[in-house]
Formats: sequence, C-alpha cells, structure tokens
Amino acid sequence: MAAANSDNSRPQNTRAIMTFLREHAPFSSMDDTHLALFAEHATLRFYADGDEVISPDDGIIKRFYVVKQGRIRGERHNAKEDRTDTTFEISMGECFPLAALIGERPTRTLHRAAGDTFCLSIEQDAFITLFSASDPFRDFCLRGVSSLLDQVNQRIQSSAMASIGSSNSLDTPLERYALRNPIVCSPDLPVDKAVARMHDNSVGSIIVTDDSRHPTGIFTLRDLRTLIAEHKAPLDTPIRQVMTQDPICLPAHADAFEAAMLMAEHHFAHLCVVDDEHCLIGVVSERDLFSLQRVDLVNLARTIGTATHLRTLVSLRTDVSRLVDTMLAHGADSGQVVKIITTLNDVTVRRVLELNIKKNDPGIPFTWLTFGSEGRQEQTLLTDQDNGILFETPEGMTEDQVREKLLPFAQTVNQELAECGFTLCKGNIMASNPKLCLSDDEWDDWFIRFIDASTPQNLVYSSIFLDMRAVYGPTKPLEKLLDKVLSRIRKNALFQKMLAGNAFQRKPPLTMFRNFRYVTDGNKQALDLKRQGLAPFVESVRVFALANGVGTANTLERMDELAKKGVFDPKDANAWKEGYSLIQAIRMRSHQELLNRGEELTNLIDPDDLNPLDRRILRESFRQAQRLQQKLELTYQL
Amino acid sequence: MLEHIKQWLDRHRGGRSGHLDLESLPNAKTPGDQLLSDCRLIVLDLETTGLNAAKDEVIAIGAVAISGGAIQLSDQFDLILRRPELDITETVLIHGIGNEALTQGHETEDALLYLLEWMNGDPVLAFHSAFDQKFLEKTLRSQLGYTASHTWMDVADLLPVFFPKAKPGGKGLDHWSELFGLEASARHNAAADALVTAELTLMALNRAQKDGIKNLRQLHDKLHYHRRLQNMHRF
Repeated sequence: MAAANSDNSRPQNTRAIMTFLREHAPFSSMDDTHLALFAEHATLRFYADGDEVISPDDGIIKRFYVVKQGRIRGERHNAKEDRTDTTFEISMGECFPLAALIGERPTRTLHRAAGDTFCLSIEQDAFITLFSASDPFRDFCLRGVSSLLDQVNQRIQSSAMASIGSSNSLDTPLERYALRNPIVCSPDLPVDKAVARMHDNSVGSIIVTDDSRHPTGIFTLRDLRTLIAEHKAPLDTPIRQVMTQDPICLPAHADAFEAAMLMAEHHFAHLCVVDDEHCLIGVVSERDLFSLQRVDLVNLARTIGTATHLRTLVSLRTDVSRLVDTMLAHGADSGQVVKIITTLNDVTVRRVLELNIKKNDPGIPFTWLTFGSEGRQEQTLLTDQDNGILFETPEGMTEDQVREKLLPFAQTVNQELAECGFTLCKGNIMASNPKLCLSDDEWDDWFIRFIDASTPQNLVYSSIFLDMRAVYGPTKPLEKLLDKVLSRIRKNALFQKMLAGNAFQRKPPLTMFRNFRYVTDGNKQALDLKRQGLAPFVESVRVFALANGVGTANTLERMDELAKKGVFDPKDANAWKEGYSLIQAIRMRSHQELLNRGEELTNLIDPDDLNPLDRRILRESFRQAQRLQQKLELTYQL
Repeated sequence: MLEHIKQWLDRHRGGRSGHLDLESLPNAKTPGDQLLSDCRLIVLDLETTGLNAAKDEVIAIGAVAISGGAIQLSDQFDLILRRPELDITETVLIHGIGNEALTQGHETEDALLYLLEWMNGDPVLAFHSAFDQKFLEKTLRSQLGYTASHTWMDVADLLPVFFPKAKPGGKGLDHWSELFGLEASARHNAAADALVTAELTLMALNRAQKDGIKNLRQLHDKLHYHRRLQNMHRF
C-alpha cells in the first residue's frame, strides 16, 4: 500500500493484522513499520482439517508462515515402526518453517492442518527485507524455538529483578551488609603505597582515617585515574593532598535506601558507615547496594551449617527464599535452582540433626533418608517432609529396642524441621513413624512386600519410596538396599507394568482438542502445575529409570541416563527435559510471586493469568508429557 | 489509499485534468474456464446510509482480492467516500462513520474510477450480494454514468451449497462467521466485513475444489442451479 506513516492512514485490515501480530513473539518486539511491512505483503490462506500445508516434496521453502487461526501439525514418517508420528504442533501466532526457510531447503516435516486453519504468509523477498531490517525478527528466526524459551527465562528474570528492587530490600539497615572490613590508611601514606594496599585487597577505595579512626578522606580508583590523566601530582605525594575530603558518612542504623539516595545525589560510588562516635566501621559501595540481595550461596550454606540455634536456622529460611529470587534474576535455570534449594534444605536438615545429636545423642548410628521430591532433589519453596530412618541393628539389641531410642529423637527433629518451614507430612511419612524407622533387613522386607505384592495403595507410594536419598549418616547401607531394590524391579515385569499403568493414569492437562483441562479450585479454573504438569514426567521417567537400572532419583538426571543407555532418543530426552524444566520454571515464578505478596504457596495457577507466550509454552510442555506417556503406553502395551 | 489513487490518477490523466474515458476501463469478465486456483476474485462490502437503494447512499467501500487461492493483502481497497452532504444520523451508530470521517473521504468520482480500474472486471463476491450490487451499480451509474455490469456471486448462497450440513444460527454474515470461529476485526466496517466474507469464501472454494469444481463457470453454474432449486422449493 501507499507509504503511510500514522496508523490511522493504514487500511483497516492491515491494522487488524498488525494488532494480531503484536500479540505474539517475535512480532511483539518489532517496530510498527516492520509489522506494517509484514501485513501489507501478507497473503491469507485457508487449509481445511487434514490439508497439507507444506510438504517435503514442495522443494525449497519460499514462504514464511504464521498461524492466524487453527493449528498445524508436523508429521514425520517413522520407518522403523511404519507409522506417522506427530513431531510438533504449531498454534495461533506461531511461525513456521524457520529452519527450512533459513537453510533454503525443503522442509523435512510434512505440515498438515489440524482443524480448519488460516495462515498468514509472506514471500521470501519480503521475508528477507524483514530479516535484514528488524533485529528482533532476525534474532527470533535464527534462534528459532529456543528463543521462545529464552523469552520465558527473561521474563522470570525480570520479575525476580523487580522483587529485588522492592522496598523490603532497601529498608534493611546498612549494618547488615556493610560490615565489610574497610581498607584504611593514614593521611601521610604516599599515593602509590595506598594504591598497592587497595590492589592487595582487591578493593576500589581506601579510607583515610586519623588516629582515632575517624574517616577524614576517601581515595578511589576514579581519583587515581584523574590523578594520572591530568598529571596532578607525582605518585609519591601524601594521600591527604589528593584524597576527597570529608567523605559521606552514614550511621550503621541508616538504611540502604538512604545510602542509595545519598550516592545518587552526590555521584559517589562509596560511602562510609560509622558508629555513634563517628568511628569508621565499614564501607558501602554502589555495587554492594545493588547486589544487596545477592546472598552468596556458599556463605549462606556455611551460615546454616554452623548455626548454633534452631531460631537462627528458622530465620535463615528467608535468606533461602531471597537467594531463590536472586538466582532466578541472574538467569539460573529451574533445574539449578531446585537443586540449590534442595542443597540448602539438606544443609538445614543436617544441621537440625547435628544440633539434636549434640543435645541428646540417641547413641545409635543411622542414615536419615529422604523421599519424594526431596529424594529427587526437586524441591521448591513449597515443601513438606518425607523422611525416614535406616539403621543397622547393633550387636545385642533388637530392632524394637533401637526404635525406642531413635523415635523420640526423630519426633523432635520432625517438629523442629516443621519450625524451619518443612511442613509436617499429612500422610505421616516421617522418621518418627515406627513403620519408617527400620533396620536394613526390615527395609529390605518392606520393599519385597512393596514390589511383589503390589496393591493399588502401594503404587500410590511409589512416587515417594522409589525416589530416595540419604541426607545424613553413612550412605553405604542405602546403596546396598537400593541395589537390591533395583535388581528386584528389573526382574519383575509385572511390577513394572503396574507402575507404568499407574504413571499412565496421571494425564497431562490437555483435552482432546488441545485445550487446557482444568481442575476446579472453588469457582476458578486452575491447572495444578505439580500434579497435572510435572507428575506425568516424573512418574513416567521413574518407570523407565527403575526398569533400566538407573540409580539416581533426580528426574532430569534420570532422563540423561536413559538417553545415554539408548532407552530414550537423545532428541526426545532433550524435548522432555525442556518441557519439564519450563513447567518447573513457571511454577517457581508463581511461588516467588505468591511469597512476595505474602500469600500461601499453591501449585495451582489460572492459565488466563499467564501471558500468551507462557500459555503456549505450557501447552507445548504438556504435549511433550503426552508424547512421553505415549512411549510408556507403547513400551508397556497399556 | 489516497496516495495510491493520486498516483494512479496522475498516471492515467498524464497530468491533464478532466474526465477519464469510461471506454478505457477494463471490461467485465464472464465466468468461463478460469481456474479457481488461480483466477482473481473481488470480495466486497459496502457501508451505506440505509437499506433503501432508491434513496440511501454508499459511504464506504471495502474490498479484498482473492488470487492464487489466497487473500492478497497487498491487493485491497479500503475507502470512505466523501459525502458530507448526506444525512447519516440514522446509521452512524451502526458503522461508526461520523461526519468528520466522511468529509475526510475522497472525491467520489476519483474513488469510483479507481475502484473500477482496481476491480479489473473480475467477478465480485459479496455477502447478500444483491444489496451491494444494487447500491454499487446505482452509484456508478449516477456518479460516472457507468452502466456495464460485473459478474456477481452471493457468498450467502455459496456457503450452504458447499456446507450443506452446516447449521448456522441464521442466514447473516455474523452467523456464518460465528459457526466457523471467524471474527471481523471491526464490526460494520466495510473492509473488515469484506475480509471475513473473503475468509468464508476461501473455505467454500476449498470445499468446492474437493467436490471437483475447477473453474469459474462450474462454480457459477452450481450457484445458479442451487438458486433455481431454492426457488422451486418456494413454490
């Protein structure tokens, strides 16, 4: 159409297509002129349900398509099993076929309309124009689907960033993080000596103090740069002649917000923290302030691990939550974050055990077991206790006698863990339960009964007891036990099939028409990200892992192992890992948001609260879960 | 659009003022063996000041072209005519075109000439096409003295022919769009309605080709036959 600048001068249908495009990536981040270019060059085609859209026989791809309405299914012929597999689905607002178009080759996948479908498309020359004119468009095309995933991660990061910038971090008193030992010198020290001292301590500033430790000046790397660049003075000049006099000082009880305001006002990157006598006690740098919340993992773990009181442990739990925020903000993926949460939880559990042993040693060595999500190292902030005890019966004692000593101890530990935020297990799967405080032989018997006489009730427990790990105490007894359990399951095809059947019950929340299937939560429609989203992955993967002798309990690691063993196709394994991780990421982000609003944590979300991109990603992730279940179905002929 | 028309007029008038020769306009095409898969079709919608062709007037024309079996958005027509003298108070609430928009419209004559040139004599489809045909032909006649008639086909006929089992909630454009999950980007906007009508047309043509209808004549005959059948049932 004509060169039109303002939106109003564009034809209605061009504007409508631009509005449609704007709701979807990558168009959402593209300039209007580029969107207009797309809309004005677009053709709109209709494909009835089952019509071929593009096929490998069409030759080199010359068009770029966007689904306007309906859905496209990718089909590949599986020669080995002589059937057609659906390899992907493209829904409203999504683009195809990127790889083939960029690679100037035919598509390798038959694209077929799934339901009546309208697609917008542009020809290669318009595509190339856009590709060279629009950065977001080019980035998107080059990175393809992976950039979708990046965008989700970016969004998680930015919301976590927002919570870091929130007032609750800036109203913390300076003394909580400014107590870094300041590097100081006397006013007569030559500049080069002072700089050497800064260098040795890898700091960017040095405070000049008088005899009574009152700060009289500050010298920073920026001052050094000016000094040298402007030949102001030789390097052996006493520092008092070149320092900035009377540095800004704040008392230790001032808060970070005041400090940030002062720095912004005076353009200083450092300020001194002083006590009531105006004696220097620390330095705060701009960087300190803006990474206030960057709780150091190692440091936090050490603090937890050396805490001497339960109440310290309890108070440190907020730091754990803050750390999660920070991790997400700095782009850690959900797999890393859940592992870190688990690590910190482990440290906490260990410390609670150690403190109790110190106070009241039961006198019998034991292994503290953890089951379920903690066993899989997949804990998020919403977590309850699933634990047990494994002991070797000492000479001359009966198992019941051991239990008499261990159970009261376990009772206290369970209570104290509850105070630390690990909710008591409603199903009483806790070490203080006599049925879960067992000797090695008893556990072995327990598993024999569990595997050989599997009842529906047993199978419910499979998600707990078949994902287990030692958190405290000797690990050898557990390894021996696990070996036996694994080899028993490998030999027991019936048990495997029952496990598979059980896992197959847990359907991803998609209807036949690929809409979300909701659970009812009061009046609201909701998806349960844990039960409906993650569980289908976890449960199916567990069946394959146990059946193939994979010892680790972590779902992502299990998938890696299964791919290594050739049980999973590496591409499938990657897609499944990605799907699983994305659901986990969306779940964690929702937890952080609830936490920041002071609301109770839940795994339920309303998909309408998500943006279209997240909804699409959830849908695709659920579809991956369906594919994984199809493999289960085929393998075990369910 | 305005730019387009100006450029076109400059080209055709060669800078001279005065009227265009009606004879030089493209001739209307009759439905022959043009293949549905590559012929060009016009899908058009008008907004008028009312329903009475004898006294009401056209105020907006929206149209898209289907060619190569697809709607080409580079080939569309979207114009509000300059008709400030018309009383539009009755219908202004429906289509949202107020006096201001009308005065910013284009010289009716220029716009209509451009429309004819743009249509290129190709067959015209519209939803309840009798209405649009009556209004457009009347306007062309009174404004330009143009009397040739295009081939018109009614999308409201086309749909029940190819979707005999479909049960829309009524006979209107809204009913059919709703049935197929289509939605106009703006209600009672000529261009938006034309696009939805074109989308329905694509669906019907898709089905027609599967039913073995390859060219325009076959399509035209099929519609004609359907019409006659309907009329017979009426007696």
